[in-house]
Amino acid sequence: MLDISPQSQTALVVDDDLTNRLVLRALLKESGYQSIEVENGEQAVQAVEDNPQIDIVLLDVMMPVMDGYQAAKIIKNRSESFIPIIFLTAMTDEASLAKCIAAGGDDFLTKPYNHILLNSKINSMLRIASLYKNIEEQNKSIQNHNLQMLQEMNVTRKLFEKINKKDMRGENTGLKYSMSPMSMFNGDLILAEKNQTSGLDMLIADFTGHGLSAAIGAIPVSDVFHSMTLKCFAFPEMLVEANNKLLDLLPTQMFMAAVLLNVDRSNNVLSVMNAGLPDVYLYRNNEIVHTFKSKNIPLGISKLSSTQFEIEMQPLQYGDRIYVATDGVMEATNHMGDMFGLQRLLAVFEESDHSDLLFDAILNKCADFCEGSEQTDDITLLEFCHKEKISYTDDMAYRNVCREPSDWSMQFDLDIKSLRQFDVLPYIMQAVNNLQPLESGRMHLHTILTEMFANAIDHGLLNLDSSMKASPQGYMDFYREKQHRLETMEEGSIQISLEHRIDHVSGSGGSLTLTVIDSGEGYDYASYETTNKNAYSGRGLKLVSSLCSEMKILGKGNVISARYDWSTVNTD
Amino acid sequence: MSVTINVSDDKKNATIKINGRFDFSLHNDFRKSYKDVVLSSGQYSVDLSGTDYLDSSALGMLLLLKEHAESQSSDVMLTGFNDEIREILNIASFDKLFTLG
Repeated sequence: MLDISPQSQTALVVDDDLTNRLVLRALLKESGYQSIEVENGEQAVQAVEDNPQIDIVLLDVMMPVMDGYQAAKIIKNRSESFIPIIFLTAMTDEASLAKCIAAGGDDFLTKPYNHILLNSKINSMLRIASLYKNIEEQNKSIQNHNLQMLQEMNVTRKLFEKINKKDMRGENTGLKYSMSPMSMFNGDLILAEKNQTSGLDMLIADFTGHGLSAAIGAIPVSDVFHSMTLKCFAFPEMLVEANNKLLDLLPTQMFMAAVLLNVDRSNNVLSVMNAGLPDVYLYRNNEIVHTFKSKNIPLGISKLSSTQFEIEMQPLQYGDRIYVATDGVMEATNHMGDMFGLQRLLAVFEESDHSDLLFDAILNKCADFCEGSEQTDDITLLEFCHKEKISYTDDMAYRNVCREPSDWSMQFDLDIKSLRQFDVLPYIMQAVNNLQPLESGRMHLHTILTEMFANAIDHGLLNLDSSMKASPQGYMDFYREKQHRLETMEEGSIQISLEHRIDHVSGSGGSLTLTVIDSGEGYDYASYETTNKNAYSGRGLKLVSSLCSEMKILGKGNVISARYDWSTVNTD
Repeated sequence: MSVTINVSDDKKNATIKINGRFDFSLHNDFRKSYKDVVLSSGQYSVDLSGTDYLDSSALGMLLLLKEHAESQSSDVMLTGFNDEIREILNIASFDKLFTLG
């Protein structure tokens, strides 16, 4: 509450008559007010400007130079805060008194005035003035608050733009998404990165809370996502890392609901991890053929190991589309308070007869539904189309450090325990990359290594039957069986060696020989090759042989050696 | 909208009842309701039978209650929710974190 005791209040007395001024001064002093006296309207205007401590003006009407009406108008126009003006006048006709109020006066008193009445009018006016001041101060602090919020939104938007710096969208990549500015402020995030199979890894996330607090979580998640995708870490490892970072950083009540998508172009398989987002749809030939439901706890809530994430896999066909939306779409609300909801969303899928237009159709239907409502601006929708031919522009590609070719070799020996415990390939890839970045060959190398390693484990060590993978259910069974055999196997090992030699003829490249040896029983590869020319199960090694200059199966069938030639002259 | 709490005499059970929308506007009331409650190896149940909507900040508030309960070797049970709320709890896999009654 502001202080309205008389001692702290100052009144401006405006009267051309000396006696009147002296009487008023004495009266004010008696009641405990301070006073300043001036002789006319012009002086009054100046006095208010010069003395910000003036709380109230007692104004005569008829004065030389400038009369009270004009002075009141100017004072009221110029002052930012509320200064009450009480007219003191000898005039008693109604028209003149009305004019006092019209000129900006707050009250009037006719001369000769009653002292008690004057006192109480001053008091009542000052009380109103103090209320005004309170409201004014509150308004100011609300304005400051709004300003701060606008600034925060701005900072957040910039942060999220930086985080989303790599835009992988385009006709040629198959990726489309729409994020409204408000959804970004509300903590929605989309990240995409090219993976080792030339497909995309995509993350769609929705943080609880909004603004800066959401951005705090988004920064480490983005770092983990980009760096681990680049270093070829598998899905679960990335999830564990992101989950740990968020657990450390975010307060208990905050978490990140997310969908992680991996499009494996080597095997045409889609992997989906849904943790707390609405259903993800796989759309083929004008209908939804699979729904990926949320089966995981959102990230940043509890500690999880890589095997605790439920990841669903589905075979992909060219032309397939994947749709992911945050709950902003389903919860978009119209002016009646109704939500867009699942039924309306599914209806858009049903009604659509042209899949190229589906993405826009969903956005439009949602916007139409919300028309006239204010809360329409919180929508994040992603579509990925699995295309037969894709291409990435230069700024979407990796930036490798160029390094002079050199001769080197390295070897990894992995026993059954290490095979069970961790995925060694990212480390090998990283080591190779540090030693000898292979320019355009990076993706190829990863594919070659992955296929050779998978072949050694799946067939060499575990004797699994690849034909199981032909159906979606089989795919899951295959991986379950693989996990089971790995865990129960007592002995076994795999040796991976890499040897690099400079191409002395051209001086601008080299050849890398990869050899993978498993401790399994091997097989009669000579007769196998003649009888199984088009065998489905040989797909992995076929890929290796197509990418390499030379591939040999050696020993008793447990040794595979492949040579990959590369050149610093880009041939892609 | 309201939050009420009932603590049993033996300090084993506390029931928090949420009426209306369970969202950020209840943040303070919800926290205040259990802040000073101490159970020993008991159970907090959140009665959602009067709740008609629950958003993600409510999920966050439930995680805070869980933290509070765990510090007293107690657990949290969610009861009385309607189908829509069950769907939200399912999507967030909260059945893995809370007992759903």
